[in-house]
Amino acid sequence: MEKEALKLQLKQQIVKFLNLVSTKPEDIKDDEPLFGDGLGLDSIDSLELIVLLQREYGININDPKEGRKILVDINTMVDFIEKNRTK
Amino acid sequence: MLFIHDTSCISPQLSFGDVDLQLLQPVVNRRLMAKEPDYKGIPPGILRRMGKAVRMGVGAAVPLLQRAGIPEGIILGTAIGGMEDCIKFLNQIIEYDEGMLTPGNFVQSTTNAVAAQIGLMNKNTGYNITHVHRGLAFEMALLDTFMKAEEQPDALWLTGAVDEISSYNYNIERLGGWYKEEIVSNEDLYNSGTKGTLAGEGAAMFLLSGIKQNAFAKIVAVETIHTDDAGFVAERWNRFLENNPSDLIISGDNGDSRLNQYYAHLIPDPNNGTDLVRFKHLCGEYPTASSFATWLACYILQGQPVPGSLYQFPAKNPGYKSISIINNYKGQQHSFINLSCP
Amino acid sequence: MSRILVTGIGLVSAIGNNAAENRKSLAEGHCGISQLEGFPSRFAGIMPFGEIKIRNQQLIEKFGQHQAGVTRPCLLALMAMEEAIADASVTNAELSDFSTALINATTVGGMCLTDELFHDANAADEGSPYLSSYDCADTAIFLQKHYRIGGIINSINTACSSSANSIAFGAALIKSGRAKRVIAGGVDCLAKFTINGFNSLHILSNELCRPFDISRKGLNLGEAAAYLVLEPEEELRGKKYYAELTGYANSNDAYHPSSLSDNGVGPYKSMMDALEKAELLPAQIDYINAHGTGTENNDAVESIAMQRVFGTVPAFSSTKANTGHTLGAAGSLEAAYCILNLSNQELYPALQFETAIPETGYIPNLKFKPAEIKHVMSNSFGFGGNCTSLIFSLT
Repeated sequence: MEKEALKLQLKQQIVKFLNLVSTKPEDIKDDEPLFGDGLGLDSIDSLELIVLLQREYGININDPKEGRKILVDINTMVDFIEKNRTK
Repeated sequence: MLFIHDTSCISPQLSFGDVDLQLLQPVVNRRLMAKEPDYKGIPPGILRRMGKAVRMGVGAAVPLLQRAGIPEGIILGTAIGGMEDCIKFLNQIIEYDEGMLTPGNFVQSTTNAVAAQIGLMNKNTGYNITHVHRGLAFEMALLDTFMKAEEQPDALWLTGAVDEISSYNYNIERLGGWYKEEIVSNEDLYNSGTKGTLAGEGAAMFLLSGIKQNAFAKIVAVETIHTDDAGFVAERWNRFLENNPSDLIISGDNGDSRLNQYYAHLIPDPNNGTDLVRFKHLCGEYPTASSFATWLACYILQGQPVPGSLYQFPAKNPGYKSISIINNYKGQQHSFINLSCP
Repeated sequence: MSRILVTGIGLVSAIGNNAAENRKSLAEGHCGISQLEGFPSRFAGIMPFGEIKIRNQQLIEKFGQHQAGVTRPCLLALMAMEEAIADASVTNAELSDFSTALINATTVGGMCLTDELFHDANAADEGSPYLSSYDCADTAIFLQKHYRIGGIINSINTACSSSANSIAFGAALIKSGRAKRVIAGGVDCLAKFTINGFNSLHILSNELCRPFDISRKGLNLGEAAAYLVLEPEEELRGKKYYAELTGYANSNDAYHPSSLSDNGVGPYKSMMDALEKAELLPAQIDYINAHGTGTENNDAVESIAMQRVFGTVPAFSSTKANTGHTLGAAGSLEAAYCILNLSNQELYPALQFETAIPETGYIPNLKFKPAEIKHVMSNSFGFGGNCTSLIFSLT
């Protein structure tokens, strides 16, 4: 899959998975921080996103701290998915 | 004595914001679903996570908190809380065979999530508790508030109740035989002569304190009983009315023929001026439905007209000053609440 | 204002079927956390649990509860209630009097029957025998019917602080004259629901939990039932009592749905408010039964909050290393342990502890020892920021 297509797909998945009702997938910037000031996600969302990676891309992350290093922004997530996806 | 300073109610009727109880909102497929507002007072980032019970509870509390600031504590009653999230999580357990599951549903599913979320949004570090005693959960929240107000009369408490209809708890209650098998309109609920009732839901919130100033009503007494003995309930009810003379009775009759025995003694003496109204065709049956009745009593005590559809017998004596509510849940848990003008 | 006295206790946990067995296990440093045997789960064999090794059928036989719909929480609660009622010599006539109240707490309730609930919530055909057993009120209503309790009956759920709040609510009933006798406590059973829930939050440990240790990896779930009988001094008529409930306070951390704020706003406030209620100075507390779940967040925050309250912390420990985290039963179970500390004038060893966390350097009490203790505090903190502290005193 092309990187740009993967990015859009991931954004759509995030919006759906986290029920971000007031956010459109295309509004999420690739380098916008997911947590804190950017998209405003919190620690429970980070656990939800770890499950998203497992269910959609077959990536297992067992330590939430490791997760937070990957779940920085769309760019870091896509890089990680491309390297580690099993489906 | 608990003085009522403010109320708010999300229900299947037009009870939130501009109240209109004359325009009866109809039951759809045995369910009276709440008319949910747009929840402008809840930040979208928080709203997206909320299941219906949390949303209704927080949504009903928000206007009171916007007007009152930070109360001394938050005292809620709910029998099932976020049942929908609970079963969603359960379905995940089964679907993914106890694999990696999303925690959002789990965190929202605990019955204390509503009071917790209100506390979080209100930055309220005070007393925070959730009473979950099924058909008496709201009454226990009131009792708790009575005790708090006796200790600290000038403190303000946010007290209320919420319960939701999810497809899951609807199914459980349906299997238990608690809903009508036939289709019944709101108006015909009490005349059906069959077992079962209509499912309902809602949230009602109250700002309460021990001081009269700026109050528009007061809760004088709350009594709860566990029994299935209708004679015992009637005896206690008569004593309750002796202590709390009332010109209006609000009956929790829900049209279930099996429960008629608990309300049969309410038929008023024609020589006595007491009127009798029913409310479950407005809000349906749910464990904390007495919180809707309490909100309704506040509405009436503020001089608002009682819709004709509520009267079991023609009204004799409008302009009510003292109202007693009698309710029961499944014939096992009974409660009496008396409210009057301050 | 009348003093509120503890006249009876009853408890069952993974380290004993009654108060005496629990005391012996605590004194010997016995850990009751083991492999799950009671029901099938993917986590059985992978993670340890504080399971009570009594099957439901044994309890059904023992108490003659053959009717449909009786759940494990009802049965375990009955077991602990029997002991508490006998210990406080409460008569049947007293139980059915309107002045006797029952306050139960639970977080899981009948949802421990995860598979039955799944069926009943989704099925179109017939329901299971447990249709009315899933909610948090079921156990209290079962106990009310069983003992024909005549006074106020209530059920409370404030997550992991639930049964500490049932004790506080019971005390308020007595103080306000609404009850002369309160049986207050809680019960929770191991359940697929909570195991998967806590696992989804990544706070379960696959090893024995290590409260307050730098290398702690999370909590172990457990199950228990525990009840206290509370009575006002003027109703005692020469009856024995263990201790006085001198302080109780409930506050909210108002920070996050499932974790505590960095400097422990809620825990600090519940401890301080309980001290104020008891009219005690921090230095007068001789022992703290900490919440101490063994999660990274709880133990760090609780240590910092204790440091803020006490400066130099008194002897403390978390008995969750013995029993696992028993959720809605934890508050009353640990209150009962505080009663054992006081009435036997002894402290029990903390388990699985090696190295203190650097922020405070706090080391729990590591040895069994006789001790002169007069005032003990029990902390219970739950999801949703629900924090409660209780203080029991020998007076």
